Amino acid sequence: MKGNIIKYARDNIDTDVIIPGQYLKVHDYAELATHAMEGLDPDFHSKVNDGDFILSGKNFGCGSSREHAPIALSHSGIKAVLALSFARIFYRNAVDGAFLLPIEIDQDAYDGISEGDEIEIDISQNEVKNNTKNQIYKMKPFSEIIGKIIEAGGLFKYKPDSD
Amino acid sequence: MGDTLFEKVWKSHVVVEKESGPSLIYIDRHLVHEVTSPQAFDGLRMSNRKVRRPDLTIATMDHNVPTNDRSLPILDQTSAVQIQTLEKNCKDFGITLFDINSPDQGIVHVIGPQLGITLPGSTIVCGDSHTSTHGAFGALALGIGTSDVEHVLASQTMWLEKPKPFEIRLEGKIKNPHAVTAKDIILSIIKNIGTGGGTGTVIEYRGQGISDLSMEQRMTICNMSIEAGARAGMIAPDEKTFDYLRGKKYTPKNYESLIDVWRDTLKTDSDAKFEKEFILNINDIAPQVSWGTNPGMTCDVTDSVPTPDDFSNGDENQKKGIQKALDYMDLKSGTPIEEIKIDRVFIGSCTNARLEDLIEASKVIKGQKISPNVKAMVVPGSQMIKRQAEEMGLDKIFTDANFEWRESGCSMCLGMNPDILSPGERCASTSNRNFEGRQGTDGRTHLVSPIMAAAAAIKGHFVDVRKMDLN
Repeated sequence: MKGNIIKYARDNIDTDVIIPGQYLKVHDYAELATHAMEGLDPDFHSKVNDGDFILSGKNFGCGSSREHAPIALSHSGIKAVLALSFARIFYRNAVDGAFLLPIEIDQDAYDGISEGDEIEIDISQNEVKNNTKNQIYKMKPFSEIIGKIIEAGGLFKYKPDSD
Repeated sequence: MGDTLFEKVWKSHVVVEKESGPSLIYIDRHLVHEVTSPQAFDGLRMSNRKVRRPDLTIATMDHNVPTNDRSLPILDQTSAVQIQTLEKNCKDFGITLFDINSPDQGIVHVIGPQLGITLPGSTIVCGDSHTSTHGAFGALALGIGTSDVEHVLASQTMWLEKPKPFEIRLEGKIKNPHAVTAKDIILSIIKNIGTGGGTGTVIEYRGQGISDLSMEQRMTICNMSIEAGARAGMIAPDEKTFDYLRGKKYTPKNYESLIDVWRDTLKTDSDAKFEKEFILNINDIAPQVSWGTNPGMTCDVTDSVPTPDDFSNGDENQKKGIQKALDYMDLKSGTPIEEIKIDRVFIGSCTNARLEDLIEASKVIKGQKISPNVKAMVVPGSQMIKRQAEEMGLDKIFTDANFEWRESGCSMCLGMNPDILSPGERCASTSNRNFEGRQGTDGRTHLVSPIMAAAAAIKGHFVDVRKMDLN
């Protein structure tokens, strides 16, 4: 999986800025996507391209349990969020609906990757490759069942019986 | 080695245990509201599934309901559709609903305990992060997203990575309980451990400082566990817990025999180990006021707005975040908190809209008028609380002081209904989140206790309520 980075160099990006409360009534995902990140970066919708990744700091997705947050990012074209850590409900929502990959990275990757860099994520090797700067970082591996849910394409496609 | 309270509740609900990653756990109660459930019910229909245990599922509408006259039609069409959709879903799937005209309607985390739906030792989920509130009764209560809502509707189970037990012990005794409350304790905890301090854990609040609190105050503490990043917060049940739930509408018929079991089992063993601990001495705790854009950005009312340097511990990201927060909040470092003027006051939300909260706030304002520059509102947590408050004459105290007295709902806590801040407005709010835009685009939120909010309404700026005559 390959994409370009949109970097928000800050911690605690909350779900209220990812998708403000007033849009939780919107059921059309394409329309929801037009308001993604509106609380933080009103230009997000015009600059995001299909396949892009977000890079951010600690506790990404903290706050509300609204699944609208990963949905809005996903329908904007975001395929993965790379962060130093994730709030747990956001992480689960991202995986459950197969909306995007939540990739936990270390400080070196966070510091080394810049806005616009082309990144390749290799889950089988637990690697994040920076093609622009020709560097390779380790990502935190997914736990067993999370990996299987991702592989199956979401919670409702995962069949525990096949274990 | 013994078990913590959390581990006991976990073990009694595990269906499939995995060495690493999530285990499948059984859910005793599922609370549903109008905002995070529509896609879940659509999912059930598309896959031709039923709700597995409609008898364990209870719904209400709280997030986007208007708080003005309930006999008027709902003007916001998208809100009206969401409310009608929940009505239809509950009818189609056989789920009990406390609708907008029900005497039991209210914020889902307020009505669960007051109806006796929330029980010690149970597992409770809801598509709302403040489900942690119910942990005040010794329940394992988790906020979940819409996919998990669908999963629980369909199977009464969910996959959950086992959190680690985290002990937060409150030592000492608050010197002035008329002025310093549970809200100040939990804000102080989050200020200390940070908004990610509890990530991946279930917090158990313990110690004399917890035993001394009423059930309503304990709910305020557990409610904001999520603001410290914790999966849940819990407090071992005691006689206060058992007394609170006795004789409620849904309290089980065999309640007294259940209490006998809970009394023996629902506590952390003396030889149990926590993975993490934090001790807070509450003797000298001051009223707290948040100054930034997350609940960890909080200080004593007697402090001044911090500089990015003195709050960041040298962390560059933190420093940038603090400067952004100060810019957003339009605050200058060094300004005394007591000099910050406010435009709005909101007393409400699942954190602080229970009867005790309204009683405490009413004591501050009785016989006075709010500052002419301030607009203030009280939104009771439920219709039951509203009725109880009106029987006590609290509504009259608030309206005489020029507060608006509203119908129950989430209201200005999250800005989904018409109760929002205008851009640039500054609000003293008893809610739980001061995120950018939370209470309305470009609105500025300061988190405080109901007593602090009431005092700010009268004075037009923050004041140290310990100096006021409050008896």
